[in-house]
Amino acid sequence: MEKLISNYSEQVTPQLKWVTDAQLEQIHYATLEVLERTGIVVKNKEALKLLKDAGCRVEGEHVWIQPWLVEECLRLAPKRISVANRLGERVMPLEKNRVYYGTGSDLPFTIDLETNERRTSTKQDVVDASRVVDALPNFDFLMSHAIASDTNPDVSDLHQFEAMTLNCSKPIIFTAHNAENTEAIIQMAAACVGGVEKLKANPYIILYSEPISPLVHTHDGVGKMYKCFEYNIPVVYTPGVLAGGTTPVTKAGCITLMNAEALAGVVIAQLKKKGAPIIIGGGATPMDMKTTTTLYGAPETYMNYGIMTQLAQFYGLPNFTEAGCVNAPVPDVQAGAEAAVTILMTQLEGCNLVHDVGYLEGGKTGYLPFLAICDELISMARYSGAGTRISRDHLAVDCIHEVGPGGNYMAHPHTFKYFREEIWSPRFFNRYHWEQWLGKDKETPMDKAVKEVKRILAEHQAAALPEGAAEEMQRIIRQREEEIRS
Amino acid sequence: MASIKDLTEFVIQADIEKVKETTAALLAAGEDPLKIINEGLIPGINEVGERFKEGNLFVPEMMMSAQAMKAGVDLAKEKIEGADIPNAGTIVIGTVAGDLHDIGKNLVSMMLDSSGFNVVDLGVDVPADKFIAAVKEHKPSIVGLSALLTTTMPAMKEVIDALKESNLRDQVKVVIGGAPVSQAYADEIGADGYAPDAALAVELCKKIA
Ligand code: B1M
Repeated sequence: MEKLISNYSEQVTPQLKWVTDAQLEQIHYATLEVLERTGIVVKNKEALKLLKDAGCRVEGEHVWIQPWLVEECLRLAPKRISVANRLGERVMPLEKNRVYYGTGSDLPFTIDLETNERRTSTKQDVVDASRVVDALPNFDFLMSHAIASDTNPDVSDLHQFEAMTLNCSKPIIFTAHNAENTEAIIQMAAACVGGVEKLKANPYIILYSEPISPLVHTHDGVGKMYKCFEYNIPVVYTPGVLAGGTTPVTKAGCITLMNAEALAGVVIAQLKKKGAPIIIGGGATPMDMKTTTTLYGAPETYMNYGIMTQLAQFYGLPNFTEAGCVNAPVPDVQAGAEAAVTILMTQLEGCNLVHDVGYLEGGKTGYLPFLAICDELISMARYSGAGTRISRDHLAVDCIHEVGPGGNYMAHPHTFKYFREEIWSPRFFNRYHWEQWLGKDKETPMDKAVKEVKRILAEHQAAALPEGAAEEMQRIIRQREEEIRS
Repeated sequence: MASIKDLTEFVIQADIEKVKETTAALLAAGEDPLKIINEGLIPGINEVGERFKEGNLFVPEMMMSAQAMKAGVDLAKEKIEGADIPNAGTIVIGTVAGDLHDIGKNLVSMMLDSSGFNVVDLGVDVPADKFIAAVKEHKPSIVGLSALLTTTMPAMKEVIDALKESNLRDQVKVVIGGAPVSQAYADEIGADGYAPDAALAVELCKKIA
């Protein structure tokens, strides 16, 4: 047995911290000041009443929240949220420093896999993205990727959910138009797991809802959240901002405003139900001051996420960030660079739910093979994030001694034992000598990704639903359509 | 003393204080306020618009220039008795029903405003009947519709249909925009124009107003 070493400290995985605890406290205090001094606007009647009953100063829809109430609600919010897949397996516990990657939702445009033309997204694109995410090993959860533009707009969110859950058994983060449609989606999900009680015990769906910066909490945004809490469904409640447009342009100011919106969400949630499962964060993107586009692949964005994640860890609450989401309109070298940097950073920071992976053109266009490329980048980041092992056997002094000066290690059992875990192997990236590459018809990583996506679409089948669930989902969609019509 | 030409330069430099000083000095010296606006201030903001479109200027710089121009116009206006201040036309603009996205719409509004349009901004989540009421009240030459969601794009068509039903369609031009919107969609619903960004929206409105 190896003898213990005294006074030894070990860093098993690398750590990335952007600011110190003292700086986090400063952001926290600034946040509390915004909530108690500037206040928020709440357009949801139930939330407004709850805030008033809790002792907040309320004038019309304007509410001021005292620091003690924020602290109290932070204490009530769960530090850990267990999320299952559609099969009831608890695959995604949201705990500090556990990192999961997933797609984003609702891309209006898709670059067609066959024609390479950019066109409007359809329900079939949601189906295809769901199957691809189900099959790609490094994607942990699914958002719709595309938007089902060819369905009835009143219930397009229900169609998207149907397409997702039929074709992927991984946890799903869904968007919904309003509280009524949220209820319908919850019923659809219940049908897929054998009833509401089973869904409550092991939720596999998470709602994505948001406040509107600066400092506005809408009727629908809160209404959808409240609907979910009735069923123990976790809710991501995070603003999507444009720094310099809807928040201050300074990074610290942007973060403070987003944090104020997120913490107001925590209060609104905990007043509705103690222990309500809420996930915090904020889409920390600045506005490009030349083109007015939303900057997803930019340094400011991932710098902000570094701090947003530390803040969530400081509060001990699960968080929602993004990576692999790029401004490049097509999956080119810019896309690769933007995606790689952001994915590695989120892995090292220990963000919980990292979404929007594979977005192109700042969240407007999708291309399925880019998801496969991002899968590779996640694999690379996870590999790096797993850290460097320093043990007697890894230090390999016996092996070095055996080989001696001037020898080589290729045939040594130590190499054989460790090479797979000590040297990462890509699926798509090229590492050929030039002539080998010519022999492969100069195949690019994207060529391979296209092939893999086509293979998945031809062969992969998601785990089946219980009998009758698909029909029940269709019935719920029809029923909801009729309710809206009349 | 600084001249009308200098005024143009101060607007471009977004120097609010110098614009105010110079405008006041020119007025005190008896210069025609309309001339100050048309030959000093407006050419400045037009140049700023051009530079922004070319990608040589940033949004906050453009916004400050607009404020500088406004400060000058406000001073000059005080000296124009009764006479109508020149404007490029009235536009009623809003984000359509069900849609809460307003950053792009606000930018378009602000740029139209600084380009001399009289802008009536109805805000977000604006139902068709509110557009109709505003058209009746303000008699604009253009109605501008913004939508960022595929699900709210049909609401643009509803506004166009409502304009037809109220017999107002031939009195206004309809201009649309927003992330998922395209020229093809504009053609499909019978809008008069589509602009992919704020600078082109101003150009389009100037052309068709
Ligand atoms: C009159 O003539 C004209 C002429 C030109 C016009 C014009 C009018 N209007 C615009 N233009 C043009 O000129 C402008 C300036 O150059 C440009 O305006 P833009 O608005 O395009 O550009 C702005 C300057 C900057 N861009 C933006 O402001 C939009 C950025 C993105 C990221 C975005 C944001 C910020 C938000 N969002 Co939302 N959001 C997205 C957007 C993705 C994207 N990259 O576009 C988009 C539009 N959102 C989407 C979605 C789905 C949603 N959003 C929602 C909410 C929000 C926030 C509140 C978080 C926030 C809006 C804050 C606000 N105050 O506006 C929800 C809907 C709320 C609602 N009912 O409206 C929600 C449904 C999400 C949810 N979870 O519920 C997607 C729409 C998909 C679709 N086609 O339907 C989306 C493409 C992102 C995505 N991929 O999911 C041009 O389009």
